[in-house]
Amino acid sequence: MSEVTYTPRELLAVIASRLIQDGDSVFVGTGLPLVGALLAHKSHAPQMMSIYEGGSIGPEPKVLPWSVADPLTFYKAPIILSMSSVFGHARAGYADVGFLGGAQVDMYGNINATCIGPYGKCSVRLTGSGGANDMASLCQRLIFMGLHLPERFPEKVDYITTPGFLGGPGEREKAGLIGGGPWRVISHLGLMGFDEESCRMKLLSYHPGVNPEIIQQFTGFELLVDDDVVETPKPTEEELDVLRTQVDPNHLFCF
Amino acid sequence: MAHANDRLFDHEMAREWKLKKSRALNDKRMPLKDAVAQYVEDGDSLVETGFAYARGPLAAYWEIGRQKKQDLVGIYTPGGLNNIWHEFGGIEGAHVAYVGVEMRGLIAPFRRGVEAGTLKVFAEWSHGGLALGLRAAEQGVNYVASKSMLGSDIINNNPFIKVAEDPWTGEPVCLIPAIYPDIAIIHVHHADIYGNGRAWGLQVNDTAIALAARKVVVTCERIVDTLDMRANPYQNIIPWYCVDAVCEVPYGAWPGDMPLMYYFDRPLQERVVRVEWKTPEATKDWVDKYIYGTENHYQMIELAAQEEGIDTLEYVKRLERLACAAAYSNLGVWGTGADIDWTYEEVAKRAI
Repeated sequence: MSEVTYTPRELLAVIASRLIQDGDSVFVGTGLPLVGALLAHKSHAPQMMSIYEGGSIGPEPKVLPWSVADPLTFYKAPIILSMSSVFGHARAGYADVGFLGGAQVDMYGNINATCIGPYGKCSVRLTGSGGANDMASLCQRLIFMGLHLPERFPEKVDYITTPGFLGGPGEREKAGLIGGGPWRVISHLGLMGFDEESCRMKLLSYHPGVNPEIIQQFTGFELLVDDDVVETPKPTEEELDVLRTQVDPNHLFCF
Repeated sequence: MAHANDRLFDHEMAREWKLKKSRALNDKRMPLKDAVAQYVEDGDSLVETGFAYARGPLAAYWEIGRQKKQDLVGIYTPGGLNNIWHEFGGIEGAHVAYVGVEMRGLIAPFRRGVEAGTLKVFAEWSHGGLALGLRAAEQGVNYVASKSMLGSDIINNNPFIKVAEDPWTGEPVCLIPAIYPDIAIIHVHHADIYGNGRAWGLQVNDTAIALAARKVVVTCERIVDTLDMRANPYQNIIPWYCVDAVCEVPYGAWPGDMPLMYYFDRPLQERVVRVEWKTPEATKDWVDKYIYGTENHYQMIELAAQEEGIDTLEYVKRLERLACAAAYSNLGVWGTGADIDWTYEEVAKRAI
């Protein structure tokens, strides 16, 4: 049997999809989360309910949308609601998982999508929150996907657009935030979670071809390593087949 | 004259204004040019409607550029292609929840405007935060207590929201005031001559915005008989009494998406945000050619078709076919969808 081959983005999409369980309701952010969510829906989670900030709830997307307001997100949707209503769903308890991308994530899972450098004197102005802040403030669990580089995984983000555990244990509750906060971080090097006591980011599995030491080299803070750290299981042929033939056959996102 | 930011949270002014609005069934049709000239005033706060690049009133935004309106205050929830005017004096600053086109990238003029300090950011917001502020205005309440934005740096860069203690639970809540923009331009599928508006697909904040804003211009793909609006009110999202002007503007959301009617021109959008607006000089060339160099929206669409080397009709038909393809409804608005044997490739080819 020949070796399964895949690209880094395909690996990201597959790992993302595995974090979604059948029956979860998932608030889907733009970018790779769109791919991960659709892959889950078309493989092991046909009963998953996706929510998009454009207003669509529970569609059965046929084709990969490129925007959270793309009409493709309405495909077979039984209902399309207003923006305040869909974020209200997250507050009310109808969103289990928030699924986001962003420019930077720090050791406490705070995410920056606003600016690189000090606010007001930034070197790069980014898009701003969009729905990211609301998703992280309100959803029960938050998944973040991003590229793993030291400047993208700094000890402290330049700007907290989207709250994680803020400065550490107890701060989320003190600020009045609800939901469990950051739950998983997916990068092209590894899958991370958060230590229950210290709220710090912790490596759960490293992707094939790297190891915890290499990942530490690409991280701007001391990355905790789980006692049971393992190698990330490779994408299966079945997962890749669904991704390549049904989710993203033209390799728009996964190239 | 008070600054737009002072009017934005002024309940009394908003109420006084609306008390004076006519409830009569007047024929409010007028050309887009006239509506923009009359209702978009220099210094107004202009709220984005639709989802910026999906059912956004882009024809009106291009016309605002053509008429060189000055010192507008943008409310970007999200903001798409309508933020280039600050380089032409058109926008003083903005309330920013999001500016970009998602996977198509950042919008270069916005980026360099903020980085250089030539575009003021009056406040950072989240989408949910602005949505609730507009909803508060619609619901007639002074503010709402939200669980968004707490603990984040957005709180530090938004002088209009407050963190307070929930009097029931004692927990921190974020108080978001009702937001009353000066002007909203909303693009819908159908409207009658009085301003009742119907939209399919995404609603986003538009009903709230129509009721919150002092001045409302409705642009529509097609004017329909008011009996149609009354017989089928179920998808109507805008009531007539808040509307000041109605403009029939087919393809008014181009090059954005109009659900069931025409799809985004994704390559064009990407080319614009990544290449043609990359530098201030390039942006000026683009504006000279596409905005100042054209008299109206349709000349602009013709120009875009010419650039692609195809007939204008063929160009818009292609976007219409893609919209039908994207819709589950096998009718589409024009009843043409059933004829189309579409494939993923048909949509995706255009997406690259």
